[in-house]
Order: sequence, then structure tokens, then C-alpha cells
Amino acid sequence: MKIFFVVFSKEIISFMRSFMLVLVVLYSFTVDVYIAGSGIQIKPRNVVVGYVDNSGGGISQKILSHLHQPEFLPPKAFLSQKALSAAIFNKEVLVGIIFDSNFEKFYREGKNTTLNVLLDATAASQSLTTLTYLQNIILDFEKLTIPITIKSHKLFNQNADNHSFIGLTEMLSVITMLAIILTAIVFVKEKEEGTWDIMLLMPVDPKIIILAKSLSQVFIVVAGVILTLGFVTFGTFNTPMNGSFWIFILLTFLYAFSTAGIGLFVAAVSKNVMQVAQLSIIIIMPLIFLSGAWTPIYAMHPFFQKLSLISPLRYYIEGSESLFYRGTSFVDMLPYLAGVSILGVIVYWIGFKKIGKLF
Amino acid sequence: MTTLEIRDVSVIYKKLAAVSHISLHVSKGEIIGFIGADGAGKSSLIHAIAGVIQFEGEILYSGHSYHSPQEAEAIKPIMGLMPQGIGLVLYDTLSVMEHLEFFADLRGLTKDEKFYAYRKKLLHMSGLSDFTDRLAGNLSGGMMQKLSLICTLLHRPKLLILDEPTTGVDPLSRLELWEILDNIRKEEGTIIIVSTAYMQEAAKMDRIFLFDEGNIIAQGTSRALLNSIASYTYIATQDTTKNAITFDKRTYSLENLNAEHTQPTLEGLFFINALKNNKTLAPVTIEQRQTEKNIPEIVMQAKGISKYFGSFVANDHINMTLKRGEILGLLGANGAGKTTFIKMLLGLYKIDDGELKLLGKSIKSAQDRMTLKGKIGYVSQHFALYNDMTVKENLIYFANMHKIPLQTAMQRINTYAKELGFDKHMNDLPKELPLGVNQRFSIAAALLHEPVVLFLDEPTSGVDTLARAQFWQILHKLKEKWGISILITTHYMSEAEYCDKVVLLKRGKKIADDTVENLYKNNPNAKTFEDIFLAYFKAES
Amino acid sequence: MKINIIKAYMLKEFKELFRSRLIVMVYLMPSMILLLFGYGIKLDVSHARILILDYDQSKYSLQLASKFEHTKYFNAKSLHVSEQEALRMIKQAKEDAILIIPASFEKNLLQGKKSEVGVFVDTSFPTRGATIEAYIQGTIISAVQEIAKSLGIVQTGLIQIDNRNLFNQAMRDENAIVPGLIGLVLLIAPAILAALLIVKEKERGTIFNFYASPLSRGEFLFAKLFPAFLLHSVNIFILLLLTLYVFDVPFRGSFFLYWFASELYILISISIGMLISIITSRQIVAVVLTLIITIIPGFLYSGMLMPISSMDGASKIEAHIFPVMYYNHIIYDTFLIGQGLASQKILLYLGILCLYIFILFAIGVKLLKKEMK
Repeated sequence: MKIFFVVFSKEIISFMRSFMLVLVVLYSFTVDVYIAGSGIQIKPRNVVVGYVDNSGGGISQKILSHLHQPEFLPPKAFLSQKALSAAIFNKEVLVGIIFDSNFEKFYREGKNTTLNVLLDATAASQSLTTLTYLQNIILDFEKLTIPITIKSHKLFNQNADNHSFIGLTEMLSVITMLAIILTAIVFVKEKEEGTWDIMLLMPVDPKIIILAKSLSQVFIVVAGVILTLGFVTFGTFNTPMNGSFWIFILLTFLYAFSTAGIGLFVAAVSKNVMQVAQLSIIIIMPLIFLSGAWTPIYAMHPFFQKLSLISPLRYYIEGSESLFYRGTSFVDMLPYLAGVSILGVIVYWIGFKKIGKLF
Repeated sequence: MTTLEIRDVSVIYKKLAAVSHISLHVSKGEIIGFIGADGAGKSSLIHAIAGVIQFEGEILYSGHSYHSPQEAEAIKPIMGLMPQGIGLVLYDTLSVMEHLEFFADLRGLTKDEKFYAYRKKLLHMSGLSDFTDRLAGNLSGGMMQKLSLICTLLHRPKLLILDEPTTGVDPLSRLELWEILDNIRKEEGTIIIVSTAYMQEAAKMDRIFLFDEGNIIAQGTSRALLNSIASYTYIATQDTTKNAITFDKRTYSLENLNAEHTQPTLEGLFFINALKNNKTLAPVTIEQRQTEKNIPEIVMQAKGISKYFGSFVANDHINMTLKRGEILGLLGANGAGKTTFIKMLLGLYKIDDGELKLLGKSIKSAQDRMTLKGKIGYVSQHFALYNDMTVKENLIYFANMHKIPLQTAMQRINTYAKELGFDKHMNDLPKELPLGVNQRFSIAAALLHEPVVLFLDEPTSGVDTLARAQFWQILHKLKEKWGISILITTHYMSEAEYCDKVVLLKRGKKIADDTVENLYKNNPNAKTFEDIFLAYFKAES
Repeated sequence: MKINIIKAYMLKEFKELFRSRLIVMVYLMPSMILLLFGYGIKLDVSHARILILDYDQSKYSLQLASKFEHTKYFNAKSLHVSEQEALRMIKQAKEDAILIIPASFEKNLLQGKKSEVGVFVDTSFPTRGATIEAYIQGTIISAVQEIAKSLGIVQTGLIQIDNRNLFNQAMRDENAIVPGLIGLVLLIAPAILAALLIVKEKERGTIFNFYASPLSRGEFLFAKLFPAFLLHSVNIFILLLLTLYVFDVPFRGSFFLYWFASELYILISISIGMLISIITSRQIVAVVLTLIITIIPGFLYSGMLMPISSMDGASKIEAHIFPVMYYNHIIYDTFLIGQGLASQKILLYLGILCLYIFILFAIGVKLLKKEMK
């Protein structure tokens, strides 16, 4: 047990001494998560609307006045349909609305009338949402009597805050990346610097060395997670924590442990840090892809859905989202904890065997 | 007239003068040598002459004057530079032949018959003819050096600048390389500047420049320099009451000793300089080991040990015995299988054939080694240490790994630090320290658990003369006080004389195994051990 | 120019790339990113899991519920459970939304009274949640309108929206995203390769061969970077084929414009890699720095997730500083729009790309020193 702590603390000291590495880890856990969370906004914002008004104003201007910030910039007037389409073609305008000359007249007379809308569908998401907005606005003008009212509730993350969600997803990716790369590097660095042989000659059970080395990196990652949670997730984005903080830390530890197993595997087959970087990228990308971070699992191809069952990240992400936003209770968390633990033990065991052969 | 003139050149590195105000003059066809301790400024001056670093002052080559790397561009076509560092300029994934092709193209050589003949000659002289398809990454350190050298020679430079080209290269190859250099300077009138750590080599230069702290403190022919220290040189004496350094059968002292004078060697220059500047290292005192150990008479016995890499036989049925309290020198050309052999003894390579007994125990499996690991010390070729931990942290780590109680460990660490003279570097990082200090502290790391046998793989390559002298003192004290057995490899033939027994390996086979005295007896014509070595290796090749 | 020397360097570069298996990365990585992200990023919502709690079980309530079936947007399921249990299923991430039809739904409808339909949406992922909410509302409204019509309630003064989805009629995510991914991939991959090629020599020490050779700085850079250029030029076509045949993105513009603009763009990303390799000295640092410098703008300023026209002051300026925006404008044009060189803006943007190459190379040659630090 003492040897375990000796190796463990040696790796922590080594890590603290390599300035660049500490910098990269700090960057990933703070600035990177922050940039991702604050920078990427997928919902429509500042959409540029252009219009041609041949109807003489009135209703048309009333409709346009409903397109307000932050979703829309003040609509720009164009003199002709041609000028409007040119602007759309040059991507200066995203949505074009054309009010025909008889638009107002027909509307006042109670006849059915048509509103022509041109959408730049290369920005599919924004266009589609703009269309929904327009439909809702027009609904108000239609003097329509629908015999129902819809009472809609947004559950969890009520203010629809994209920051915290993308920030959280990014943090989970960072954990994956660092747990693999850091673990692989502590072994490969010994190969590169020629200390590997010295390590082999120590009168110590190799199992303890492997365990201590990899767990030291798991520790660094978990520490990084706490840092992100404190400064970015809670501190800047004010993400709610509806579930138990400690279950999340436990889940993170189990997950980091299982990815450290992948790191062991990478370390076993890589000769130098460069190869670690390359191999890690090849492993990490599908892992993240299959996790449901970007696209919900049920919307994937059935084959990928099955495949995602063996990605520990899947259980981790679903578990984390549930904890943060849905406030899921411990009992309901058990499937996620079990998923991460079982996969973690298997993956770690494989990595452990693989690197153990080199001892 | 082709000459090289260096006028008042200084190189500033990190605000410190690496060399300051150096002037010297080299004539056509002259070979000059730079010698000096680590960090004395040899490499900096070499980089300045080669035009790869900013410098102050002026350098004139054959009438062309330059003050900066930009101005030096004009002489690059006729210049050849081999920087310091094993295999530094080689590409791991290219073969030997591809290197020669690349360097020929890089220099825009026309590939005519003359070129092919010269290339063949270089390949032959470097002993690489049989390895033209081998990738540089798979060559041994010495072979890499030779390949780097012939790549530098390929375009027949008129100004050849070599920075420690022979570090880690075996004596036979060094001799052959020297022949190449001698030939081209005679044939082409090339000016050659070489820095070296091998004094036998320095003795062959036309003029020698001794560097110390960025200055040239002595220069002249080998003979003149030797004469200058002759009066300080005595036959080895045990009279250590006076301030003196003993090395290679000679004692150097500034004061009069009650002993006969003898011919000095160039190494003496370093010792005299150290004595003059009071930079001598404290005399080595090794205390008795704290743990009593029952050491068997025969520490290591190898019977017919072999190692195969594919069809290549790295070690061919080698028998060897290491007795208690014996220093065994393992010598051989580059790629002869010395490192392979040591790695098999340590269990880092699988033994393909043969039997091995360590400390009376027959080694069959990894389990057999587990209990022995605490009794073996090992220092590898590169002094493998953890570069991001301080010297002290490294030592504590190794002590912990050997399960030595902290109090005992600290006591031993402090003792070694004082005895081996690195106590003022305890809180420095290894990569910031000179090679000599790293070497001594690697030894300390290997001694912490008080082993009964030490395996040392080229512990002195690239280490400066003074540190080497100190190192051998340590080994002898260890043998004397601890009864330790040592297996050591080296390319310094003068060091072989310090061994009790010498084993010569050639192409994986053992060709000699005897005491130093007997080897001298069998080779009556040999003046130095280098002669003996060359006799064995030339005889059958 | 010393053609033979450059040729020698290039030959060596190719051999090293192949033998060090870096070549695998050169061709595997870009295609992998394109495939994974192309399949992975789904902004459109489909198959949202909706749980319908129909407490009325009447003709009209069933008609409303049936509107959620047989559409690609929803996977509907009707259950008889309490509201609490339904909410718990959302907590367990088993459902995305709940629709609650009250018991008096039909009665109220026939009596002309308003009834309240409850909708609960999981907005953990806000964008997806908001979209699902909008879809549900739209579906309910159209269903109720239909019901109202069948009950004889006549509507007048209807405004019909006639929307034309330009460039991407079917509103396919692939069409909107995959061309932008080319801009991302061709920014990252050539930059990393170029950065590695020079830093590798520095880290290893082989850079001395250049220091000591008669090769000029420009020639050295050319010899080092040209292989990266050639190798990635092949990627231009691989990525095009993947986009056209795997993702079925239409190609409406000029192939030569696509080709030419892509080659210019590769030169830019190679120059970025070159600048990084000049200021760094360790391979791993160079790779990390390249990733940091290229990925963020490659995503943020690509126009892929957020149209440039919608950006605010600071980010709009930043977007104009990075080359991604200009290239992507041209790329989207060649795939989806097809104006080609007839558009003044495209000509201007081509000019800007050329300017980038010129400036970056000039800085590179200026910064590269043929001497030790």
C-alpha cells in the first residue's frame, strides 16, 4: 500500500512540474468549457429579415413589428423582390418576406390571403424556427377562435439556457479526452525517456505500479472536474444542480476510471507521445459520437444505437444530464452507475492486461 | 590561401557569455581539436563558425568575412557540420542508403562514377556496407554516429566542423574515421575542426585548444601541451596527503611529490587545470555498507546465453562468470551485443537460449527475479532519471520503491550526496545538470538499496575527464569497502585497465576473457590497452 | 530555386510520412471527422418520444392523439398512468414530452367551451426542447382546426404562409452542415500536418541539416510544405465524393470553383500550421496549439451553426478575421446555390483568400530563422 502512494505521489509531482501539461489541462477544464458554453448558440438570434412591402403598410408593418430582438434584428426594407433575393443569395439576409399588393386588401375583406416567405435553408435550424415564429405571430392576426388553450411547461433548465448544456457536454468530452491521454502519457513518457527499464527493475509488484500510475491521473481528472464545476458550471453559467453532487462525483470517478483503461491500452501500443495523440483522437471521436452528446441515441441508425450500448460515455452523459437537470434520485441513477461500472471494469481489465504484458 | 581566421568571437547564451573574445587561426589542411569540460564553450564556438548561431566578432574563411548566420550563407555549400548528439541529424525512418541519397541531393552532387566510388569507400570505412538497407532508427548509437559522419563528408566539404563525432563510437571505428579525416585533409586540403572527449584522438590533431569557462586556456601541439605539464606528472603514488589527482597510472600534483616523474597524457591537462583553479572534487570516501549481506563466491554465471532478433544473432552462446568483489569490463565494437547481454542479465530481454545463475539462484522465470531485484543495481546508458523531479525527490522515490525506511534512506542519501559531491545540486532538476553530476547521482540511486552487484552500461560516455576519474575512484572504493561486483561497458580503453577482468565481444561472440595483466602478457607489443583491443578486432576481420 | 534539393527533401518527406504511418492520419482523420460529424450533428428533431395521457378517450381526443402517430417527428405512445408517474418517466429520460388531454375535452368542445391541453417538455437540451415544443403546438393547432372545421366552425381571414426553402428544399441537416464541415476539416488537418513536419525536425535535431545546408529559408519552407499540400489536395476530392454520395448533398455550382477555392484554402491552413511550427519546439505542443487555434473558429465562425449575418459586433469582426467564413461562403455556393463567379462577393472572397496566403507566407519566411535560438 505504501508503494501505491509512493508511485501515486511521484506521478502527481511529475504532472505539477510539467508546466505545459498543467496549462493544457487547466485550459481544457476552464477556458475551453467556457468558450464552448458561451460561444455556441444554436437557437435563432439576431436573424436578419428582409422584406418587400407592396401592400402599402398597415397590417404588414404590424406583423413585422412582432419580429423583435433578441431573436430578430429590425427587418430591412427592400425595394424589389429581385434585390431581396440577391441579398439572400449573398447570405446577407436569412429570411425574406414579400407582402403582395393585395395582401392588406384581402385581409381586410376577410378573404384568404397568402404571405410569401423565402428562407435561406442552408441555415436550416434558424429558418425553421423563424417560420414557426411567423406562424405564431400570424395566428394572432387571424382572429381565430380555437376551442382550446395549450398550457405548455418547460421541464428542467427552464430558462432554456443553452450555455450550461453545451458547457456540460464539452466538460464530459474534456474528461474523456484527458483521462485517456494523461493515463497513456504517464506510461509512454517512461518509454520515451528511457526510465521504463528502471521501473521494471524495481522490486515492486507491477500491478501496484500500473494501478497507482493510472489512478493518479484519474485523480487529476476528477480534481479538474471539481474545478470546472466550481468556476464555470456553477460560477459562470449558473447551471442548476438538481441531483446529488456526490453521486455525480462518484459517477465521474467511475467513468474516468474506465477511460483510464482505454488509456492503458493506448499506452501499451504507442511508442511515443505523438502516437498517443493520434491514437487517442481515433478512439475518442467515435466514443463521443456514440454517446448521444450531439444527437439523441434514439434518433441514430439502429446499428449505432446498439453500438452505443458499449460506450461508457453514453451512460455517463445520460446520467449526468439526469443528475443536473432532471434531479434524478439515487435509485433511478443505479442503471447509469451500473453501466459505467461494468463497462469500466471490463475496459480497465483489458487495458490492464495489455500493458501488464510489457512488464 | 585557404585559411580560417576567428577574430575576437563571443557567443552570448541566455545573457551569459558561452565563449568570450576568442581568436584563432587555422591553415589549409590543418586539423585542430577542441577539448574541455562540459559547458566550457566548445560547442558554442563550433556553432558560431558553422554560422548557425548569432555571435559577436568576425570570422574570415578564405577571404570571405562573416559576422552573422546570414552572412555565413555564402560558405555553407563548402562547409560540413556534424552537431553534437547521437544520431541527431538522422531520420529514424530512412535507411542508411536513403540517407546518403538525401544528403547527396541536398548538396546537389552529380551522381557520377566518382561519386559512387567515394560513397562506396565511405560505407566501407564506416563498416556500414552490410547495413545499407537498415533504417537509421534501428542502428546502434555508434553506427548512427558513423552514418552521420559519412553523410557530412559526402560532399567533400572544404571546412569540416565536427562536434564530438566519436562519442559512443568504439576504438576500431574511431581509428577508421580518423583515417578518413586524415585522407581528405591531405587530398583536399580541408580544414577540420573537431571537438572530442577521447584524448588519444586529440593527440592526433595538429593543434589542440583547451577550453575552460568560455576561454581558451591552453593551445598548441599535443607535444607542447604535454611538455607544459610534464613537471607536474608523477608515477602513480598513494601519497594522498597532498592536493593531487591520480588517474591512468599517473598522479598529477602542483606540489612536489616524493615520486618519479613520468610521461603525462592529455587528460593531465584537465587535472592540472582543475588543481590550479581549486576545482578538484572532494576525495571519495565510501562507508561500510549498513546491511550485512551474504554474498556467494560466484555472483553471476552465464552458460551459453544467446539472443536472436529474427535471423540476427545478437548474443551467440556466451559464457561469463562474475566473482565476488570483481570489476569486469565488457568491451566490444558498436553493435557487438554488450547492451543486449546486460539487458538479458537484468531480465529486460528474454533469454532465448542458455542458462543463467544470479547470486547462486538459477533464473527461469520472472518470479525468480523478484527476490533478486533488491540486490542488483543498474545504471543505463542514458542515466535514466525522472527529469521533472529534483535529485532529492528522485532518490527518495527510489528508496521508497526499495522499501527502505525513510530515516535510513535520508541518512544514506545525505551521505552519498556528500561523498559523491552532488550535495549542492540536491534541489535541482536532472536535465539542468551536467552529465557528470547526473552520472554520479544515478550511481547513488543504484546504490541506495546497497546491492551486491552493479550493472553499468557505458556510464562514462560523454562525461568529461575529471568526472570520469572521480567515477572510477568511486567504483574502486565500492569494491574495496562493500565487496561489490561490477559489470561495466565502456569505449574508453584507458578505463579497461581499471578492470580486474576484461571480456571482449565481437559480433555477438566472446573472443577474449582474461585479466588485464594476462592480456598484456599475450600481446607483448601493446603499449596501451587500445593496442590490445585493436589487435583482437583487426586480427580476424 | 534549387529544384533538385527541393525534390530530395520532398521525397524524404513522403518516405517518412509513409513509414511513420502518419499517412494514415492524413487520410483517415478528415474523412472520419466528416462522417462522424455529418451523421452526428442533428439540429432537426425527429422521433421525439411523446407520451400521451388521454383522460377523455373520446372520438375527438383520439383524433388529436392520432395526429402524433405516423410522422417522423414523433414516436407517440398512449398510456394510462398518473401525471406523477409520467413525469418520473421524463426524469428517467425515457420520454421527451408529455401531452395531457383532460377528461372533459370532447364535452367542452361540443359545448363551445375552451378546454386546457397540458404539454410538458424536457428542455435539458434547450434547442431540442424548444423545437419539440413548437412541433407539438403546431400539431395540436392544426388538429384542432381540423376538428373545428368538421364541427362547422367556419374560419375567415386566414393568412396562409407560402414558404419557399431556398437552396435546401427538404431542409436536410446534411445539406446545411456537411459543406461547412469541409471548411472545418480542411482547416484543421493540413495545419496539423504542416506544423508537425517542421517541428519534428526541430525536436529531433535534424533541423541542423537545413541550418548547415545552402538551402534558403523560402526553399526550405516550400520543400517541407509542398508534400502536405499535395497530400491534402487529394482530400479535396475524397471529401467531395463523400459529401455527394454518402450524404447526398446536391452540387449546383462550378466544380472548378470548388477545386480552386479549396486549394487556396489548403494553402492558408498549411501556412497557419507553418507559423505554429515556427514558434513552437515540441510536437505535442504544436498539435495542441493547432487544434485550439483552428477548431474553435472552424466551428464558431463557419456559418454552419450560426449564420454570419446573425453575429454581434465582436464576434462578427472575429469571424471576418478568420479565413473560414470566406471559404465557406464559396463552398456553400458551389454545393447549394450555384451563383459561381457571376457573384461579385465570391470574386471578392477569392481575392481575400489569396491575400491570406500572401500575408501568412510573408510572415512565415520573415519569422523562420536559419540559426539556433
